[in-house]
Amino acid sequence: MTESLTTGAHLTLWLEAFVTLALFSFLYKDNPVYKFVEHVFAGLSAGYYAGLICQSVIYTQLMDPLYTDFGANFMLLIPFVFGMMMLTRLTPIGPIPDLSWMSRWGLAITVGSTAGIFLIAQLHGLVMPQTLDTFAQFSKVTDFRSFAMASLILVGVISTLVYFYFSKEHKGVLGGVAKVGIWFIMVAFGAQFGYTVMGRVSLLIGRMSFLIDDWIGGSIGSLFN
Amino acid sequence: MKRTVPIILAVSTASILALVFFLNRDFAMFFGVTPDDIKQEILIWVTIIGGFTLILGVVSILQVNLKSFSQKKPDRWYSLVTIISLLVMAIPGIFPGPETEVGKVLYTYLPSWIGVYGSQNGIIVNWLFDHLDAPMMSTMFATLAFYIASAAYRAFRARTLEATLLLVAAVLVMFWRVPMGEAVLNMVSPEIPEWINMILMRGVNASVQRGIIIGAALGAASMSLRIILGIERIYLGKT
Amino acid sequence: MNDSNTKVGIWEKISQLDRRWIYLSVAVSVIIPLIWPISVPIGITPEARQLYDAIDELPDSSTVMLTFDFYASALPETEPAARAALHHLFQKNCKILTVTTIPLGGPAISERVTRDMAKKYDKVYGIDYVNLGFKANYVAVLSGMGSSIEGIYPSDNSGTRLADLPMMKDIKDYGDIDFIFVVADNAIVDYWVSIVNAQYGTPVGASVTAVSAPKYYPLVSSGQLTGLLGGMKGAAEYEILVGQRAEAVKGMSVQSLVHFLIIAMVLLGNIGYFISRRKKTGAAF
Repeated sequence: MTESLTTGAHLTLWLEAFVTLALFSFLYKDNPVYKFVEHVFAGLSAGYYAGLICQSVIYTQLMDPLYTDFGANFMLLIPFVFGMMMLTRLTPIGPIPDLSWMSRWGLAITVGSTAGIFLIAQLHGLVMPQTLDTFAQFSKVTDFRSFAMASLILVGVISTLVYFYFSKEHKGVLGGVAKVGIWFIMVAFGAQFGYTVMGRVSLLIGRMSFLIDDWIGGSIGSLFN
Repeated sequence: MKRTVPIILAVSTASILALVFFLNRDFAMFFGVTPDDIKQEILIWVTIIGGFTLILGVVSILQVNLKSFSQKKPDRWYSLVTIISLLVMAIPGIFPGPETEVGKVLYTYLPSWIGVYGSQNGIIVNWLFDHLDAPMMSTMFATLAFYIASAAYRAFRARTLEATLLLVAAVLVMFWRVPMGEAVLNMVSPEIPEWINMILMRGVNASVQRGIIIGAALGAASMSLRIILGIERIYLGKT
Repeated sequence: MNDSNTKVGIWEKISQLDRRWIYLSVAVSVIIPLIWPISVPIGITPEARQLYDAIDELPDSSTVMLTFDFYASALPETEPAARAALHHLFQKNCKILTVTTIPLGGPAISERVTRDMAKKYDKVYGIDYVNLGFKANYVAVLSGMGSSIEGIYPSDNSGTRLADLPMMKDIKDYGDIDFIFVVADNAIVDYWVSIVNAQYGTPVGASVTAVSAPKYYPLVSSGQLTGLLGGMKGAAEYEILVGQRAEAVKGMSVQSLVHFLIIAMVLLGNIGYFISRRKKTGAAF
């Protein structure tokens, strides 16, 4: 592999290694190279959005359908107008007065549609099946082990809900259940922390693997061959 | 006009999309239009409007950095770096791809290589993303591994019963979830990894996560209902 | 007494160790196994096996939607899973439809990965697989594809009209999709389940980052998710199941060593804490 690298591939690897090391240098302390690369990243990311909007919305969702069959797609002019109204958020600019109230129309449709879908999705897609499954576990009980698991889940769900969502003061029986809820929650958050460590380490492995295998092993290694 | 129209728009779109769920999708209400057609039209509109909100983000970043550069602050050159990088990525990206209908027309007048190298799915944008943007983003998140190790060392203390439970669970999962740890547990007893998965992950963890999911979903549903009923108007902002 | 004071002094020093030594030890424990990898047996969890079996039991040439719902920041965890899934799907000659709800880089990643994998299996774009790309507002996108994929995506990621792609002639909505394989680094799995699976009945399986994996265990338990891969370990399990050991399997020895280091740090920090506390509370030492 190393012998077949072109000059362009070498340069690309060195460039990637430079930005990687520059960003890692922040671990030692803040420095101008880190800041430079950080600002390049911000600029490139924002620039990517510009192309994405043109390709995924302006050309393919608006201009192409309107150009190929205007009669069938003229309704697309409505979201186009609402979309343009969203841009009034940027006013006042120069001679244009403050028209930002117009952006609320598009925003209202977006918020409304999300609310309409969410109402059903959350109740029908999450609350109901999750609640049902909590109790349905008991219908699958075949031995003491499965009974214990079903009971464990039932106690965990109820005590978590009591601890997190019951605004009534945690006293008496409710306080006792909430206390059990805290223990359950702590164990679950511990598991979550363990998984989080795993996730973060994986990301580091990805970058280190690039530096060791691709850059040092691939590019630098080939210079000494 | 400034408040009433947005409330009408939000309430009506939310109500329609919620109601469609209960209707026969293919029932032709008038002129052959089905509830599903209405829902689909609204959703197409929303995806298009959503695209325009992204434009706001890009223009805002450009505005902030132009302002920062023109104010001659000590860090002004970094703002210039952001502006140049933004343009380097944006200029080739805004050309239409050669397969789009707009591109087919445009590249009868302009050289076709512009569409191949330019455009959002073109060589330049993909190269810049794959070899600069993606490694930078990955590295920024990779640094979190160092911070989490440092935090675990400094702050993860068995001070109380609750903290001890958290710590023990975390250590068990960290040990069990990696192959070498699992191999060690297997040497002690092959049932231990299975028990950790069953009791800790599919038992305690699943029950707590389920409680959180149910609670959060009820919260989201009630917020949606408030919007449908016109009670929640936070999206109108300040007047 | 002096001896115990010295001991406490050492522990206090250890617990106040400069963070950069910790960073260095983490870096070393990543680099060493990368240079000298250790082969480790990788156990398969029931959740990973369930996802593999669900895909494996699909009839040949089934249509599967593969989602690239992750940012480049999560690539080491998610790309191996997406590649392993593509190995499995292409081996079974499935028709693959990819989508992304991620604006920053989602389309670029899905193009790079699918085209690279398709080359290995001699698959043809438009016949064997199609990349739909990105559309804004994921809730509307997921819900809208239930009525018409072409309504939301009039053209693919490159701008080719869906009507011009042979594979899309028989794929109109979720009813024509046999399985949805979600690869994600965020809460989008909630919506694939609560909107798509719940309302259209299409089975959904997921590969998620380790950070979000614990959240989805109840969805597996209720049958709303058909299998779950958690983080790089989950991707490694899938690589083993499809017989294509790659980046995730390679990362497992590193992962093991760093986890051991962090566990040792937690224990060391706690020993130091208890010794210091004993001294402060005046307990005999």
